[in-house]
This record gives sequence, C-alpha cells and structure tokens, in this order.
Amino acid sequence: MSGFASRAAFDIRSGMPEASTRPVMRQLAVDTTRMRHRIAEDAEQRATAARADAIAHLEELHATLRARFAERGIGYHLAATPEEAVSIIRGLLGNAKRVAKSKTMVGEEIGLTHALREAGMEVLETDIGEYIVDIEGRGPSHLTAPAIHLNRSQIRTILEEHGEDLPDDDPTRLSLVVRDAVAAFFQDCDAGITGANQVSAASGRIAIVENEGNVSLGASHPRLHISVTGYEKVVRDDAGALAVLEVLASNATAQPLTSFTHFLADPMPGQERHVVFVDNNRSAIAASERYHEALQCIRCGACMNNCPVYRAAGGIAYASPYMGPIGAVVSPLLWPDGRYADLPFASTLCGACTDACPVGIPLHRMLLDLRADSVRDGTTSSRAERAAWRAWRTLFTRPAAARFSTHAARLALKAGHRTVRRPLDGTRTLPAASPVRRPDALIPLDGIEPLAPYVSAIPHDSEGKDLVTLYRTRADAVGVTVADHCDPRPGDVVVEADAGIAETGSVLLTGANAALRTLLGGRRLVIHLHANTLVRWPRGLVTSLGSRNALILTGASRTADIEKNLVRGIHGAEEMLVVLHTTPEHQAENGQVPA
Amino acid sequence: MGRVLLFEPCYQRVLRPGETSHAVRLLEALGDEVTVVGGQCCGQPAYNSGYRDDARAVGREMLRSAREATVAIMPSGSCTTMVKHYLPTLFGGQSREQADDIATRFSELTAYVSAHPQLPGLSFQLAGTVTYHDSCHYRRELRQTDVAIGLIGRIEGLELRRLANEAECCGFGGTFNAKMPAVSSAMVRARVADVHATGAQVVVSADLSCLAQIGAGADGTGVPIETWSMTELLSRALQ
Repeated sequence: MSGFASRAAFDIRSGMPEASTRPVMRQLAVDTTRMRHRIAEDAEQRATAARADAIAHLEELHATLRARFAERGIGYHLAATPEEAVSIIRGLLGNAKRVAKSKTMVGEEIGLTHALREAGMEVLETDIGEYIVDIEGRGPSHLTAPAIHLNRSQIRTILEEHGEDLPDDDPTRLSLVVRDAVAAFFQDCDAGITGANQVSAASGRIAIVENEGNVSLGASHPRLHISVTGYEKVVRDDAGALAVLEVLASNATAQPLTSFTHFLADPMPGQERHVVFVDNNRSAIAASERYHEALQCIRCGACMNNCPVYRAAGGIAYASPYMGPIGAVVSPLLWPDGRYADLPFASTLCGACTDACPVGIPLHRMLLDLRADSVRDGTTSSRAERAAWRAWRTLFTRPAAARFSTHAARLALKAGHRTVRRPLDGTRTLPAASPVRRPDALIPLDGIEPLAPYVSAIPHDSEGKDLVTLYRTRADAVGVTVADHCDPRPGDVVVEADAGIAETGSVLLTGANAALRTLLGGRRLVIHLHANTLVRWPRGLVTSLGSRNALILTGASRTADIEKNLVRGIHGAEEMLVVLHTTPEHQAENGQVPA
Repeated sequence: MGRVLLFEPCYQRVLRPGETSHAVRLLEALGDEVTVVGGQCCGQPAYNSGYRDDARAVGREMLRSAREATVAIMPSGSCTTMVKHYLPTLFGGQSREQADDIATRFSELTAYVSAHPQLPGLSFQLAGTVTYHDSCHYRRELRQTDVAIGLIGRIEGLELRRLANEAECCGFGGTFNAKMPAVSSAMVRARVADVHATGAQVVVSADLSCLAQIGAGADGTGVPIETWSMTELLSRALQ
C-alpha cells in the first residue's frame, strides 16, 4: 500500500476522522453552501477573474509591487526555494529571541517554525488551533481549522500534558487558556511572523484575514513584522483583493467576512515590515498549460470540506502542508521529486471539490492529468501494474475475449462467495453475484420519520431590504449591537467608521482609526457609522479604503478552532457597539436593494 | 419507433447480467427496437488509473461499434461520462472529430427514457418506500439528478426519501476501492448509515458500480438494504 493509503488506514482505525472530522465537515459544507447562495451572483466569477489575471501577469505585478513597497518602506524579498526563504527570514530576524507566529501555510511549506527553533529561537504558534497541533506534534490537518482532527477531550489532554491545570474540557475554557498563553508571549517578543492572503500590487498593501486577533497583535506589537506568502498571492489592485475577500470567508468558514480583514500599509514609526514571497516551483506551475489554474487557489478549504475522502481519512494522512483535493494537486507540483506522487490517487474523482471551488479550479480533472503524468514518469506504477493493464487492453479490444473474461470473472465471483463469507475488512463483503430480492423490502413507511432529514440550500434572503435594515440584520448575526446612541463606559475605545457593508454587517476603519494597538486595548469598541456610507458588498469599499492602513471589522474577535464551537472575545474587545447615524434624507437616498 | 443500441457496461455482466433484460423491457415498452452490445468497455478503469494509451485502445473499440448507430444507450452515469466527456479528448486531429461525433450519439439510459416521446403513454406503479443514491458522475458530470428524481416521481404509490448528505460519494471510485481499501470502506460505512437513517430498505441509483459498493457495505455490516438500479425499479414498476 502506498503512503497515503497506509497512513489513512491507520487514522481510520483510530476512529478519529469518522468521529470528529466527518460530522464537522458535513455541517460546514451545509453552512458554506448556504453562504454561497447569499453572496452576490457574480462574486465567484469576479474573484476567479482577479486570480486568473494575477496568474497570467505574475512578473508584471511583482515589478509594480516592488516599486510600491519601496515607496512605503516595506521590504520585498523573493525566495526561489524553501531553504532560501528560511535563510532570508533568519537574516531579517537577526538576533531576535522570541518570535510570535500566526497561521501561514507557506510557513508550514518551508518548515519555518522548526528551522527557527533549530537556530535557537523561541517560536510560539499564536493561532489557537496551530498552538494545539504544534504541541501535539503532527501538524495541521486542515487549511483553516488546523486542529479539527482533535476533539475537546484530546485537546484537554494535550494541554494538561503541557502543564495546564484544567477542570473540564469546555471549548471556551480551552480556547481562553491558550489565548492567555499567547497574550502573555506578546507582552515581550521581538518579531511577529504572519502569512498574507492577497497582496495588492497597485496599492502595495497586504490583505490578511483572521478571526482571533493574533495577526493584529503580530503586525502591531513587535518592532519587526515579517509576512511570508506564496509568489502567486499577488493581485492587480485593491478591487481584485476585495473581489477575493467577497468569496473567501463565506466558502471557508461560512462567515460573511472574518472578524478582522487587514489592509496593512506603511510600518509604524520604529517598526520594520517585510514580505517574503516563496516561489518553490510556482513560476513553473504558472507557465504550465494544464496546471496554472491551481495557483488561483485562495486557500479557503472548501474542496476538503466537501471531499468524501478527506472526510473519511482526515488531513494528517496527506502528510503535506496542503491536504485534501487542492493538496493532492499542488503537493506533487510544488515537490516534483515523487514524494507526493501517490496523492492524486487519493480521490474517487467524484468532482465534489471542483463543484465547491469558488475560483473555478478544475480539481478532479487535474487529478486525472497528474495520474497520467505519474504513470508516464513511472513514479507510482509498478511493472506488474503495467502488465495487468496491458492484459486488460488485449482482452477488451476483442469483444469475444471480453465477453469470455467477464463470464469467467462472474464464475470466479460466485466461487469467491462460496469460500469467503465474512466481510474482508470488517465492512465490505465481495460484491453480490446476483442480488437477492425480498418481497417486503419496499415496505411503506407512512408516519415513520427519517432519522436524518434531507437538507436543501436556503435561498437569498436580502431581496427587498433597504441597506440600513440589511446592515442591522447582518450585524446582529455577527454579534454586533447596533444602537442610535451610546452611554459611555470606562474602557471604551471610540472610533469613526469610513463606511459600512450592509451584506456582511461590517465597518471600515482607515488611517488613525485603524490603529491596531489602540483597538486591541479597549474593553468595548464603540464605532460611529453613518448610514449614508453603507455599501451593499465589500466591492463597494474600493473608493473608501484610502491609501494607508485599513481594517474591516466584522464582529468581535472569535475562534472556532475546537470542534467548530464559537468562542467570542479572543484578543481585544469582546463587545462591539455600532452607533448608526441615520437621517431621513439618507434613508431616501439609499432606496431599495435591487432584486 | 427508433432503433437503438444498448451497451452493457463491462462489470454488469460480472455483477448482474439480469439488468439487461430489465433495460430491454423498458425500451421495448417505449416502442424501440433494441440491439444489445456486450463485450465492450469505455476505457474508464485504465483512464482513471493514468493508463491513457490502454484506455484509448479499448475506448476506440467501443466508439467503432457505435459508428453506424444513431442512438447508443448506456445504463450508467459513469460510463456515459467517460464516453461523452473524456474519451474523445484522448484522440487528436480527425480522429478527435470522429470521436466527438460518435460520442454525441450516446445517452445515459434514464436521460433517454425521460426525454422519450412515448414516455407519457406508460404507466408506472409500485407501492412502498425507496431512497435514492446520486452517483457522482451522474450528478456532477452529467447534471442529471433531476432526471432520476423526476422518473421516480412518475411511479404511483412509491414514496421517495431523499438521503441526508445526498452529494457524498459512496467510496467506490473504480480502482480506488482496491488501492485505498480502508478509505473506501470508511466511506461506504457512512453511506450505508445515511441510507439506513431514511428508514427505506431499498436504495436506487443509476449506477450499478455504486450499488455494488453500497450492497457490499450493507451486507458486511449487517444492514438490511437492497440495491436496485433505476432500470430495475422502472422495469418492475412498469404496468
């Protein structure tokens, strides 16, 4: 058995994926499908176009970006290999001792945490899920939910063995224990390392999405901020970045947007900011006729949420930083040395991944092409396998021989049934040689309810609502209180929003209002929002993003890293109050949401 | 009415040779003159395993045998997908055009029946409850889910209970089930549990390969489920 098959068999025997991964992924797929029906009809098409444009013009966009970064004082670095990326980052870190790292899949790809620890640095994974899997030692099992292969009692055990004293395994308690350890580390650290979701070439800003607030801390507290990302993560302009953001969170975690959407610009006075782009064969993939679309990926994880193989086997079995269908496609392309050549076979080619992908990557067709490549290159095929297909071909190019061989196979199957009566692996018998029909099998079930009902997608619910009503509904759904005035309290941080997004319940803060250190220091965040600044979709913000730091807030910080249980108020204020200023003329101007 | 070729999927002869008579009964009721073609394969097993030269050689024979036909019918979403979506891409130049031309004459059996002008004249009756498993190729390559649901809806007295997680694969996947047996078994356990949860004891699908997998999983885990093809269901319900 190949690597994936035996690793998956091991994890399946442990009962892990069946007990935790599958039910969570099934629910997540239902929730994200509902969100997919709620986003703008052309949102996925626009996101796909923005990504395809970027992949077709990588060199041009990087040249523009490099110039913008120079103007902003952001360091630009391009590494050809994982080793080079690690060496650049080590150079940038200099004599830093304590490094706070947030989630970055490219960080996993280049083995960053391990390499920095080898060099004697203290590295803390500051994302709650990553913190847990770092201690566990097997790495993340999902792109957006790294600890989804662990249940709460396993997480409690892991944290207890790490020295925490825990009375129970309540997900809120577990999340807050990790939060406290992370917050303490941020009190005294030398550098913050984050990923990046999209980097806008025209504006030279780094878009990063997060829910917990650890990226906010990492980008604002230490004197050095390094962002590490893939060479393909550039996008032409802010409009392109917003187009991607319109589909990212809805497909990833069934949120309209994540709690924090950063557009990071110039470093603060006294702060250094660098972006390290990692190629690792990406330019070759971009130039490949059959696989360039794989670089359109926005790392939402929808393909794995919907993948029946991922649901059954879990993400650890892939043994790659990139798991699930996108992992089975990009792993052998990023590392063409054969180590991941078996991953394209870890699929039934059911096509659920291709259907789920919001940026149109034909994943299951790429898996077919990769299989043909690996047979051509001899990386997975044995001599016996090639001989077997050759024999099959000889039989099935001759109808009489084919009929004879299927007849023989039927006799063999019947003989098999006489000798093998038990299921071969505890689950499946040999396929029936002719099904037995019972007269009462079709029994009518009048009045007997099914145990698990069929769920169909819920249609869009915003038609006919004006922007203000829509904003109130959506803000309420993300836990934001909307009021027409505010009674001040000690510990309030009060800021003015530049705009609001009706469909997502978000507010946009720019410049001084987006100062992360101030925002994270408050006990309650009070935001003044004028109804005449409301836009319907994120794309409407393109004219109000300004040119400095910008931050889109969609509810207070939160996590769902433990069994997808929602815990609010991780880093920064737990409470968010929006004072919505409406005047009659504004309401008249806004009118109705077009159908 | 029309003369049609009915292709027997290669595995059908191994698993359920009786399927062919159900299909012939149904097509003849619609007034068609049926010629059964056996001993052919669309090439999918080799194609999905990466052996494209072998797939092309075998698939070419199937296309050749349909050269003279105007209508070629396959009682399988999976084989139909191979012939219509993938097989022609294995050929270049003029052969590609010929392959495309022949491939367009192929129809999946339920799609053919559903669009048949004589269908409104037929009466289907069967008392009881069934659930429906949507094969992946039937659902996502051919986009025919509504065709099967519509045909089941024509059967008087039959209650259809839709599956929870209807879009999830049963874990068959051709050679996948041999290459990754533990994963395939874990997948079919989930599918069998979904079927069981509906309360129905008969699961229907347009693809016999999925049904063989679900049947093996049900027998192995002791769940009383019968697996019926759409062809068998329609043939048994035909008055």
